[in-house]
Amino acid sequence: MLKVQEIRELIKLIDQSTIDEFSYEVEGVKVKMKKGANMQTVQAPVNTVSVETVQPAAVQTPAPVQTPAVAVAAPVQEQKKEEVKDTANLHKITSPMVGTFYQSPTPDADAYVKAGSKVKKDSIVCIVEAMKLFNEIEAEIDGEIVEVLVKDGQLVEYGQPLFLVKPE
Amino acid sequence: MQTDLRKKLIDAFNLSNGEFLSGQKLAEIAGCSRTAVWKHMEDLRHDGFVIEAVRKKGYRIVKVPGKVSGDEISLGLKTERLGRTIHYEESVESTQKIAHRLAAEGAPEGTLIVADEQTMGRGRLGRKWHSPKYTGIWTSLILRPDLPPAKAPQLTLIAAVAAVQAIEDVTELTSQIKWPNDILIGKKKVTGILTELQAESDRINAIIIGIGMNVNQRVTDFPPELFETATSLSIEKGEDTSRASLIQALLLRFENLYDIYLSQGFLPIKLLWESYAISIGQRIIARTLTGDYKGIAQGITDDGVLKLEEEDGNIRQIYSADILLEEE
Repeated sequence: MLKVQEIRELIKLIDQSTIDEFSYEVEGVKVKMKKGANMQTVQAPVNTVSVETVQPAAVQTPAPVQTPAVAVAAPVQEQKKEEVKDTANLHKITSPMVGTFYQSPTPDADAYVKAGSKVKKDSIVCIVEAMKLFNEIEAEIDGEIVEVLVKDGQLVEYGQPLFLVKPE
Repeated sequence: MQTDLRKKLIDAFNLSNGEFLSGQKLAEIAGCSRTAVWKHMEDLRHDGFVIEAVRKKGYRIVKVPGKVSGDEISLGLKTERLGRTIHYEESVESTQKIAHRLAAEGAPEGTLIVADEQTMGRGRLGRKWHSPKYTGIWTSLILRPDLPPAKAPQLTLIAAVAAVQAIEDVTELTSQIKWPNDILIGKKKVTGILTELQAESDRINAIIIGIGMNVNQRVTDFPPELFETATSLSIEKGEDTSRASLIQALLLRFENLYDIYLSQGFLPIKLLWESYAISIGQRIIARTLTGDYKGIAQGITDDGVLKLEEEDGNIRQIYSADILLEEE
């Protein structure tokens, strides 16, 4: 059985390669990956955006659980396509470090923001914690939160998009 | 905040090594009148300093009041940068809050915020940190390293090593670090460290390291729910310790480690950290928001991340968790 970590590695490798389609079978578990075909048709500047969007989907698999590979692989594809459509004009708030994503200041409190929230440049949108260092992340842009890309308590990577924001 | 004049006077006493300093000499050093010197000596007496004044000889400080005021921490402080600006208040909600404000206003690297009491001291995930008056060290330190935010968590491990060394310097007590930076004596918590960051996406503006150290509490000073899990240096040592001396030692150790880190990187710190760590090689439970992970703590990575070997041999990297030590 493939581990989530390994699938993650695979996705990264494929993402960085020129391979468009990839399939792999071991002990009855199949993994199929396909890069969004319509991506190539998107104009050059947006191309960089589409590459980045691969990451959130890849890491969105809750790291701890050893989910069967197939269940993980499928949503990766769908989500990628969806995001490519929407994100062209949206700003991404990314994580400045590896750590745990918290949507609220304390577990009982309300989330800093959710989809639809208006934010200013200096609005705090979440906390990323590693080793008891708490980093309050600011929006750094005026706009409206369109989507929260990660879940409370999830491990996020360096540079991983956390929110999509429609700039004002 | 200490005035510049007061700082100069305290520095003069630092250099005099317990010898008398004449009012004239002090006035020259501080650039003020002898009457102003006399007034400052009266203020220090009012704050609890015992000052001997002898005709024709001058002044010397023979006893400090046992508070954590800027004056008392400055007297005998051997650092170059850390603690050179001290913001003292008798009672605050939280030293972190004040530090955030001062950092945003441009407070210099090494600024120390210290209070004799916190009414709303807090720990991880908004937990309350019990910080009663005159018993402990409730402090926040502002650093401004030229580093990317991703490196900032390493500084919390430096803080832990500095705390262990300072405790040993002043009390000769041996303490240990539980990942990432709780300080324990006999498995009970004596110091907690919580760090917050003011950063842009690519650079640190300020890192604010909050340190709470239980120093002179009696057993009865702790609320019942903390009996089993918390202790103080006084309980462990059987006598009280000067909090100002501890802060001085903490700042000096921190500055040394910080300089090593800035010039040589994290590896020397990692080795020190691991030498003080309680959990390495032991069975632990890492409690996270998304579940518990059990295994054997193998050490930390070059970034300070905890490596946990699970039952199946998989090494899991832990970035955020409460670590529970399994009973032997």
